Amino acid sequence: MIDRWFFSPVALGRIAIVRTIAYLFVPIDVFLITPWALAHRNVPVELYQPLRIARLLALPSPTHTIVVGLCVALVGCALAAATGRAPRVLGTLVAVLYLAWMIVAMSYGKVDHDRVGYLVLLAVLPTVGPARWGDRTPSERAGWAIKATAIAVVCTYFLAAWAKFRFGGIDWLTGATYTKAVLRRGTIFSDWTVHVPYLLVLAQIGTIVFELASPVLLFLRGRWQTWAVLFLFGFHAMVYAGLTIAFWPHLVALAALLPLERTGAWLRERRWLSRRGDPVPPGAART
Amino acid sequence: MATLTPTGKRIRIGATLLGLLLLIVTTLFGTDDDFPAAPFRMYSTTDELDAPVRSLRLEGVTVEGERIVLKDSDTGLRRAEIEGQQARIKADPALLDAVAEAYHERNPSKPRLREVDVVVRLIELRDGRPTGEQQDTTTVRREIS
Repeated sequence: MIDRWFFSPVALGRIAIVRTIAYLFVPIDVFLITPWALAHRNVPVELYQPLRIARLLALPSPTHTIVVGLCVALVGCALAAATGRAPRVLGTLVAVLYLAWMIVAMSYGKVDHDRVGYLVLLAVLPTVGPARWGDRTPSERAGWAIKATAIAVVCTYFLAAWAKFRFGGIDWLTGATYTKAVLRRGTIFSDWTVHVPYLLVLAQIGTIVFELASPVLLFLRGRWQTWAVLFLFGFHAMVYAGLTIAFWPHLVALAALLPLERTGAWLRERRWLSRRGDPVPPGAART
Repeated sequence: MATLTPTGKRIRIGATLLGLLLLIVTTLFGTDDDFPAAPFRMYSTTDELDAPVRSLRLEGVTVEGERIVLKDSDTGLRRAEIEGQQARIKADPALLDAVAEAYHERNPSKPRLREVDVVVRLIELRDGRPTGEQQDTTTVRREIS
């Protein structure tokens, strides 16, 4: 029973697609989403405040050379890994280097919490071994890798609710956290919400309810799981529209839960792709 | 169907449970120092609508006497990182020399700094909106040699 749950097989083709997405995301993250990590290269090491993990592993202080070297190694390995070659070696290198990169990013007095799911995804991807695009072979290794990522994703929601009670107390539910967030970072999509009485308090209660309910995701199958994941994408799209905050690495991990291996078949069913996989030319019959 | 050996399965179940335990324990007792583990505290504090908002910034005075605000891109440090190190900087203002050094390295063609200050602005709120009253206090001042 537990065995079936942990290792319910997933097609190897999914792993191949997820690898491409996850590894190509690395340069996007380094240069566009988290560019302030690389900016730490100019900061003298006196301002470096090593995290516990850096102290335990006795990691060297990030000098200019180390930060730039780490960046080059990480991006190089990620691009090589995105080709799908040597998945175990390159995948392990990317996972280790990305973790080191994050330690440099978060060791200057501020820690972000949007990447546990992505870190877990990077850590488990190499364990699957070779996987080719379009390979429909069901695999227990692939199944576990996706399940472990799903658990990390669910933890991010569920334990975030727990953290709100720990740090904000039960008053968080009826407090002004969202009001303040909208006042600080509101957009044309959200500014009106502060004028509607109780709306943002309701939104806070709704957030906690769905965060506490998130473990359900681990027990849904097939179509239901896909709908649940799409609901979560909807939630993040709403937060982005309202506050221009997006947890990009988390979204990459979330995408791994979608049946990506069926995208080709799905498009063909709707005749957006011809049988060979080429796009249907415009004007072609779509009956 | 590609299956796993019993040992492969045991290792994977063990690793999963260990990771889960780490996340739960750090959520209960951990701090930000435990990254990449929990606690996941995004927007986790409770705010009151009438309490003033603290907003911190770095300012510099150039050798030409001009006062400038040091943005994140000027120093390579995020505002939140300075907030996180506030207490440390207060205890040891010499750390602001390092901030000036970072600024000089990132802006080699601009006039050098002779002073770096940490300035805290308190913005008064009533029912969650700014009343228009605010107060700036320089909490740390450092002459750069």
